[in-house]
Amino acid sequence: MQRAIFRDKDKCIGCYACVVACQMEHAFPPHPSFPPVAEPEGVSLTSVYRYGPFMEGNKVTQYFIPMSCMHCSDAPCIQACPKSALYKDPLTGTTMVDKEKCIGCRFCLWVCPYGAPRYNLEGKCELCDLCTKRYKEGKKKTACEAVCIASAIFSGTTEEVASHKSKKAAKKLVEGSATI
Amino acid sequence: MSDTKIIKSTCKSCHGTCGVLVTVENGQITRVEGNPDSLTRGTMCSKGQAAFQEVNNPNRLKYPLKRMGARGEGKWARISWDEALDMIGTKINEAKQQYGANSVVIGQGTGRGYDPFTIRLAGSIGTGNLMGPAHVCYLPRLLVFALMIGGRLFCDLHGWGGEYPKTIISWAKQMEVTNVDGEMGVWLLDTLEKTKNLVMVDPRSTRLSNRATQWLRVRPGTDAALALGMMNVIINEDLYDREFVTQWTYGFEKLRERVQEYPVKKVSEITWIPEEDIIKAARTFATEKPGCILIGEPLEAANNCIQTLRAILCLAAITGNIERPGSMMVWMPPAAGNLEAFGREVRLPEENRKNIIGGDKYKLCVLGRICHPETVFKQLKEGTSQVQAMHLQGTNPLLCYANTREVFDGLMNLPFLSVADLYMSPTAEYADIVLPVAHWLEMDAIWDDMAVFYIAAINKAVEPPGEAKPDSWIFNEIGRRVGPEHWFETMDDLWNHVLRKSGITFKEFQEKGYLACTGKDQVYYKYKTDYWKPGGGFRTKTGKIELYSTQLEGLGYDPLPYYLEPNESPYSTPELAKEYPLILSAGGRFPYFFHSQYRQLPWLRKLHPYPIVQIHPETAGNLGISEGDWVWIETPRGRIKQKAELLPTLDPRVTICQPHWWYPERPGPDHGLWEANANVLTASDLPFDPAIGASTFRALICKIYKAEEGE
Ligand code: SF4
Ligand code: SF4
Ligand code: SF4
Repeated sequence: MQRAIFRDKDKCIGCYACVVACQMEHAFPPHPSFPPVAEPEGVSLTSVYRYGPFMEGNKVTQYFIPMSCMHCSDAPCIQACPKSALYKDPLTGTTMVDKEKCIGCRFCLWVCPYGAPRYNLEGKCELCDLCTKRYKEGKKKTACEAVCIASAIFSGTTEEVASHKSKKAAKKLVEGSATI
Repeated sequence: MSDTKIIKSTCKSCHGTCGVLVTVENGQITRVEGNPDSLTRGTMCSKGQAAFQEVNNPNRLKYPLKRMGARGEGKWARISWDEALDMIGTKINEAKQQYGANSVVIGQGTGRGYDPFTIRLAGSIGTGNLMGPAHVCYLPRLLVFALMIGGRLFCDLHGWGGEYPKTIISWAKQMEVTNVDGEMGVWLLDTLEKTKNLVMVDPRSTRLSNRATQWLRVRPGTDAALALGMMNVIINEDLYDREFVTQWTYGFEKLRERVQEYPVKKVSEITWIPEEDIIKAARTFATEKPGCILIGEPLEAANNCIQTLRAILCLAAITGNIERPGSMMVWMPPAAGNLEAFGREVRLPEENRKNIIGGDKYKLCVLGRICHPETVFKQLKEGTSQVQAMHLQGTNPLLCYANTREVFDGLMNLPFLSVADLYMSPTAEYADIVLPVAHWLEMDAIWDDMAVFYIAAINKAVEPPGEAKPDSWIFNEIGRRVGPEHWFETMDDLWNHVLRKSGITFKEFQEKGYLACTGKDQVYYKYKTDYWKPGGGFRTKTGKIELYSTQLEGLGYDPLPYYLEPNESPYSTPELAKEYPLILSAGGRFPYFFHSQYRQLPWLRKLHPYPIVQIHPETAGNLGISEGDWVWIETPRGRIKQKAELLPTLDPRVTICQPHWWYPERPGPDHGLWEANANVLTASDLPFDPAIGASTFRALICKIYKAEEGE
């Protein structure tokens, strides 16, 4: 099985609830300190980027694009890691980090086409792990997926994600896309 | 193995009512997440999750404090709860004896389930002077609904009647990220999947812009004109719901005459919305039914808010979008009733109710049982106030009321001030007694959703820090000292009293999680039944929806909606506008904070470290301002500094800054409030709404210029 995740730019409203949920899920230290802007890097394994808004006449184009590790099948990061710290979870096909082995060289960041790797306080790589621990406990939805009010995140097997996406495409074909 | 518990609770980080699950391991909260088995189906926002960081936050207040030095000097002594409560009780009782009950003000903020407690406390003291931001937020809506219909209206985003709205107008509202007032963001987003038209009325693009089918970029403060113009189209094109209007509304012919004063061409000039867009929106709303209107708070923080809301509600009424599935609904409460009765059951002496501060001028304040805060502070400042003692709970007037300078001067003249809060807020810094409040993760309570159809349990996950106590306990303890006959021996007695109609105890309720009236239990078309009136009708004097308000007429106000130009604008004050050429909305909301709260929470503050003012790129270019520059925003009242964001979807003549900013990390007593807080810019000497006294936050004028390095 290969698990996958789909983040829907047409639905995401950029509320960042998923970013907070991911930090909560992975128990990153709560840092109750000031100034908060001095927090260590790499506290969330997902980030949301705003594209736009642009305006042409009365038409607005604006997207929020949530991003994280894509769990590539033929993952450049795994190939590149000099310490073999990156590997595939045998059950779910998720790209995982062995923090014992990671030396924090950040080469994975160089080769990742999505800029996904993050680094914790010790400088070790942190990657979206598709909430594998949670998944193995029987929770079907990832933390970011469960919290999203816009239903913009969908995780599942590759087939499930594909059919979720094609259902959406089918709906669009019938309705036409509704934008300003 | 560690000792792990999962507590079912309800988030109280805003007005919403999200079901949450709190994981507690060895006495420490390790996770706050949505409860999949709740009406919000496991979703949450960033604020609710970050509530986690309020527990154990080093800046929390832990013990009752008594002021030792001068006001604002920051010298405090720790005292016992008994000493603190006795002192508050004594001050209130003394004031009442010497100057009458109305010399006591009980103040609250936007309310997190404790609204009924402030009302009950004021009632048990006998003071009519309950103070809150209600006159600029939510109460105008409720009063207009009460005047016109006799119930509270909400959008039917639930489909319990078998239909979802085909057209939704989101009017001055960003419900997807903030200020849910009875309707939840997740319900809206779920409903949008089934909705054909989403019409947005907003001066800027929002996070839903991509999904909107039409956007009316309204000039701030001109919404009433837009609603009247849309009605002009609907009535003159004969698109209104003739049957509903004839049978169930009062005063249609007079409204027809009134809207003739608002031809589309004129409305377009007022609102800056192209004529064809106004016509299109009107036709869509009148013909693509059912439809509903999400009503935003900016409409209320305005100098003519009552008539604006009246116009909008008339629009819903003449299109028959009331009480039908998928339209605007008055929800029925669960069997337990809702919390409100707990506040209102203590009767206030009629005298004191009539004589609330500001009530002589703003008559709807009397009806809504709130005093007029701006008048309270003005009188205090001028030394003409009757107020001797003020108790504030969960509110921060120095940040949240119009004209910070006047609020400050007023507070400094106040004989006695007690403040209950989570943190040492700028307002608490100037208090005589400060009380530490427990966070919602640290208390047992009942949460009343604003939509009326359910109540939910807040269950304690961990103990509060130090000696912090729940709001309800504090109210009960003050209550026992100032009006014991209305308060309770134990908190269990209190909660059981609240729930007495439900037939279950507080303990049982806590296990259940919530009581709701949903699905088939909700009755649509109630006006066709005996629900409000035997034989059918609405709960108004005429038994109909009063397009022409007999009650407003009785109070001496215009019974029909009309448009009023904002106090300050290029049209009403052209001379002043030469110096202050930009229109300013001083209330731009954003997802991570709620009013003045949460700047202390690292997860949230990291997402949004500084206040932001949005400026059109062309305007910014002319002013030599680039993205990220610190700029001064100046009005005739003062100036504040925020960071520029260039937003091309604005009209170049309009700018939007963020409200309620302070920097908790900066030294007290002011914590940077004079530098960042938008209420330094707002006015208390310009006309308020004639009926309810609302001040204008969203349609001012300003100038903007770049801040120099080191300024
Ligand atoms: S929670 Fe959902 S809507 Fe919010 S930012 Fe994440 S993906 Fe987007
Ligand atoms: S880190 Fe980058 S390269 Fe590696 S699997 Fe994830 S997306 Fe692919
Ligand atoms: S799937 Fe889990 S680990 Fe990945 S971004 Fe979402 S919450 Fe974070």
